[in-house]
Amino acid sequence: MRKVGIIGAGLTLFRRRMLETPQELAYIAASRALDEAGLELKDIDCVVIGSAPDAFDGIHMKGEYLAKAGGERKMTSRVYVGGATGVMTAISAWYHVASGLCEKVLAIAEEKMSPARPHPQSVFKYIWDPITEKPLNPNLIWIFAMEMHRYMAKYGIKKEDIALVSVKNKRNAMNNPYAQAAANITVDDVLNSEVLVWPVNRLDVSPVSDGAAAMVLATEDIVRRYTDTPVWIEGVGWTLDNTSWPGRELAYPRYLENAARMAYKMAKIERPDKEIDVVEPYDPFDYKELHHLEGLMIAKKGEAPKLLKEGVFDIDGDIPSSPSGGLLGVGNPIAAAGLMKTISIYWQLKGTAGKMQVKKPVHTGVAQAWGDLMQAATVIVMRN
Amino acid sequence: MAWDKSAKSIQVKGEMEVYEYVYTAGKNGEEFFKALKDKKILGGRCEKCGRVFVPPKMFCEYCFGLLKLEEIKGKPIIDSFTVIYYDNDGKKLETPITVGFISFEGVEGGILAYVEGVPEIGKEVEILEYNIPLRVKVK
Repeated sequence: MRKVGIIGAGLTLFRRRMLETPQELAYIAASRALDEAGLELKDIDCVVIGSAPDAFDGIHMKGEYLAKAGGERKMTSRVYVGGATGVMTAISAWYHVASGLCEKVLAIAEEKMSPARPHPQSVFKYIWDPITEKPLNPNLIWIFAMEMHRYMAKYGIKKEDIALVSVKNKRNAMNNPYAQAAANITVDDVLNSEVLVWPVNRLDVSPVSDGAAAMVLATEDIVRRYTDTPVWIEGVGWTLDNTSWPGRELAYPRYLENAARMAYKMAKIERPDKEIDVVEPYDPFDYKELHHLEGLMIAKKGEAPKLLKEGVFDIDGDIPSSPSGGLLGVGNPIAAAGLMKTISIYWQLKGTAGKMQVKKPVHTGVAQAWGDLMQAATVIVMRN
Repeated sequence: MAWDKSAKSIQVKGEMEVYEYVYTAGKNGEEFFKALKDKKILGGRCEKCGRVFVPPKMFCEYCFGLLKLEEIKGKPIIDSFTVIYYDNDGKKLETPITVGFISFEGVEGGILAYVEGVPEIGKEVEILEYNIPLRVKVK
């Protein structure tokens, strides 16, 4: 396999109800990524497009629709693994280069969550087993509420311990110029916000967002030609767990442990808790960041809340977690959010994260996303 | 596998509903629709490669240049057309509908239209109604 590096990335603002069309959001992110890379569209061999369900933007065959933003008259691929798509977009772009097939690849992820009315949650009405689950008319927040409750019950975790994630990430987002939900809030603000589905309150959840993210990946010699501060992709992993959610232990994200082991093996990471300097775990809900820090084996099972309280995951801590502000702080245009997390780690390792830059020197970073019926995980390891 | 249509199986009914979608046209798209009301066709010229697109998006799909809006003065022409005899439910229409794709001299793209008169590919049309779709009459 060829060595693959990143030479450019771009984001749009993450906001609710953006005027720009999905194609235009994809274009803005893509052209910013090309600018940072110092390339033009004509230099790109292949475009990889990631988006979660078509139903969010309300346009079927959205991969082809988004191909307008650079993919026409070129080799174009679309990837889809639900909420895990954003990181998978980077992984797919990676294997287009690693395989020897392409030299320079543009990865674009876009999601516009706001067109569906009254609320994009309706889109998730169709993911349930039509015989055994649909009669209850569940929504995703229900199911996450049950997962969160199992996690709390199994390890004796309190709601206020979990709320700290929301406080941290929204605070980190204050330094992120693209962020939609940056705020200085307290644990009490989270606990006193409206209960949506117990134990999930409004401030435990990421917002509805529109946005796009893009990244340029290239072969080793091109990376060395275009930048003095290369960032390499050194490990990737993706797996599915049991595709039926009632068939899994909800308190522990085994889907992620499997994907992380694959990525760590490739990157030769033996002690993730010692070797990873900065991490962007997927955090559409606050408890999910803790869950995922455990699945990534950065914290032991049930112990992430304790380390969080000790400040380990703060921006000036030993292992800063979600220094971008994460989905809770920056926003959650699904596929774009996962690629945004990958870009956050890339900028951290490049040293160009600006006010988001973590205090300690960083060498190894990990980004992760999660989705489908809560069983798909994607992990990417980068080094400078 | 049960193939017998007469076999009584349990049937669970479902529906897939989103109440509605509200789409945005983008910044250039908004200007395009405003201009249509004033009986003008707006296109977008790529600041980098000079290609002109109708309707105008924000950017050029060839080179990623931004598009600058300008009024299209080129003649509207039938690029292609079709005649529809049945509706989407399979019901025969009392009056067949002629739908044409209208392009403009010197631009990429075009607009769909209901066509009156006797259509022919390459013929110029007069725009009777500025809307999506347009209503046009063959000259």
